[in-house]
Amino acid sequence: MNHFQALRTQIRAYLIFVILLENLLIIFGLWFVLRNFDVSLEYAALGAYAVSVVMTFIITFAATDYALQPLKAIWLTILHILPTEHHVPAPDVNKLPVGRTLVMSLSAQIYQIASVAEQYDTEEEKTEKTLKARSDLIANSLPLPLLTIDKADNVLFANEAFLKYLGTAEADVVGKDVYSILDMSFPSDDTFDAWLKRSRTSTVTATKTWERVRVNREETETAMQFDLAAYYNKDNPQGVETLLVLFDHTDRYGQDDQAMGFIALAVHELRTPLTLLRGYIDAFDEELDGKIDGELKDFMHKMNAAAQQLTMFVNNILNVARIEGDQLFLRLQEKNWSSIVHKVISDWTLRAQIRDIKLEYIVAPDLPTVGVDPVSIYEVISNLIDNAIKYSGKSKRIVIKTALTKDGLVETTVQDFGVGIPETVMPNLFNKFYRNYRNRSQIGGTGLGLYLSKTIITAHGGNIWVRSKEGEGTTFGFTVVPYSKLADEQKNGDNKGIMTSAHGWIKNHSLYRR
Amino acid sequence: MDEQKNATKPTANNTPSPHGKKLLCIEDEHFIGELYSRALTKAGYDVTVIIDGMEGLKEAQTDKYDIILLDLMIPSLTGIEILRKLRDSTQTPKLHSKIIITTNLEQREEVRADIEKQADGYIVKAEVTPRELVEFVSTVA
Repeated sequence: MNHFQALRTQIRAYLIFVILLENLLIIFGLWFVLRNFDVSLEYAALGAYAVSVVMTFIITFAATDYALQPLKAIWLTILHILPTEHHVPAPDVNKLPVGRTLVMSLSAQIYQIASVAEQYDTEEEKTEKTLKARSDLIANSLPLPLLTIDKADNVLFANEAFLKYLGTAEADVVGKDVYSILDMSFPSDDTFDAWLKRSRTSTVTATKTWERVRVNREETETAMQFDLAAYYNKDNPQGVETLLVLFDHTDRYGQDDQAMGFIALAVHELRTPLTLLRGYIDAFDEELDGKIDGELKDFMHKMNAAAQQLTMFVNNILNVARIEGDQLFLRLQEKNWSSIVHKVISDWTLRAQIRDIKLEYIVAPDLPTVGVDPVSIYEVISNLIDNAIKYSGKSKRIVIKTALTKDGLVETTVQDFGVGIPETVMPNLFNKFYRNYRNRSQIGGTGLGLYLSKTIITAHGGNIWVRSKEGEGTTFGFTVVPYSKLADEQKNGDNKGIMTSAHGWIKNHSLYRR
Repeated sequence: MDEQKNATKPTANNTPSPHGKKLLCIEDEHFIGELYSRALTKAGYDVTVIIDGMEGLKEAQTDKYDIILLDLMIPSLTGIEILRKLRDSTQTPKLHSKIIITTNLEQREEVRADIEKQADGYIVKAEVTPRELVEFVSTVA
């Protein structure tokens, strides 16, 4: 309290001194005026009063400033130690004209309290810093690219692996829109952004993984391919809403692409001699028409059918490669169903004929138009007819029927009256490489056809099934969807003007029949 | 017309008359070119076969052909490059020729899209016999 009393005494002394001085000045002034000038006492007193008013103001201002100096020093001291104020310098207490000892002792105490508090802060901060350092270390030494984004799709954090993976700098990533950094394409319409949108509206937390995500890099004309895992949490701390981890598989998926490239090349190589073979057979057929008969004519047909079958086999290989490589693209177009089936049947009649088999087609009237990819669907029907021919045995008849189902789908069945399928192999029939259910030495084939048909039909939104009885025959059936029932986004409006034949198309034309 | 390599001489017309329509076949597989030329010439087309891409492009740009059969895998310039150049919208006057892509090659998606936009027809060669090709061409032309 001593310091405080000293301050009080100091201020009192200052005030007494200043007020006394003022009074003295006024009294002296009054005496001086009365003595030297011819002024009445009233006027002199009034003047003295006016001077005293002015003086009082001046003194009050000066005295207030003076008396408040210690308070100001303490205030500045406190500001100085506040962590939020960065630019307040510590006051120079030694220059204080008043209350120096009190201010010194008070500020000493303030500094002490502050230093204790700071120590306390540092502990907490230390923990936080350690934790952050640890999580940064984990995130950065994680050998997987990792990214966190906020509710506005902006990147909050990208670990070193991510920056390295993209070959970019932190500044080019953090704060940017995630879609501008990762322009991802997904194998299906089940995309990351669709999932995120869904999660935001309907859940608190969610996790999901995607396979074969692709980011095309225009600069290098390469593509990065990876699996993606994402974790969404509406209430994550620090604004982190979604966390993405990338599992790079560029090499592996790239190899698949290369394998696809290899198969595409192999198919090209196979197709060239095949084109020639068919071309020359065609030329022979044309030139010898009417000049040969009997056995030679039969040979010619068999040669033709064999070339045709080889063509289908090559297409099957290509299509399986497409499916495996996620490269099978369907273009659903509005088509008259029976004309597609008629065309396949006419193409396969020759092959059926050389085995004395008759293809019958029974089609229900007034079928709606269907939404199909004509090339792919041609291959499905071809495979089923080819199958039926193979397994007809001694039977000479294959019946193909199209009708509308109860559910309004267009169903087509291919029925043979041959050997039938043993029950034990039925469950595996549509599996890839499930070899033929009959003696392999008698009947050739790869077992690709049914796998392919199922994949294509499923991709069309249809269904494929089989019914068989040993010794009585087999019926394969499948459905396709009427065009009017297809969801709008599935319809490919752009190609409406394109007439597609089985293996080619003509723009703006609808007359061509192969 | 020095670049013309007619494989066979025109013979009798036996399909709805193409009236000597001029057809350019850019095809590097010699025997396929021969087969196509034979069938098309027989059907009454005036056929020129060219094996090389650059040469083919130059010839096509003369715009004296009604129909161009364009293979995609040919030396010196790919068919898709030729197609893009021939259908280049900045080029005037526009080429009046119909272009039919004839290929055995599996197409990548982006190439397929270009072909659909710019070509008038597309066939897989292994899938059609020469006579079927003639029928196809007569439908396009």
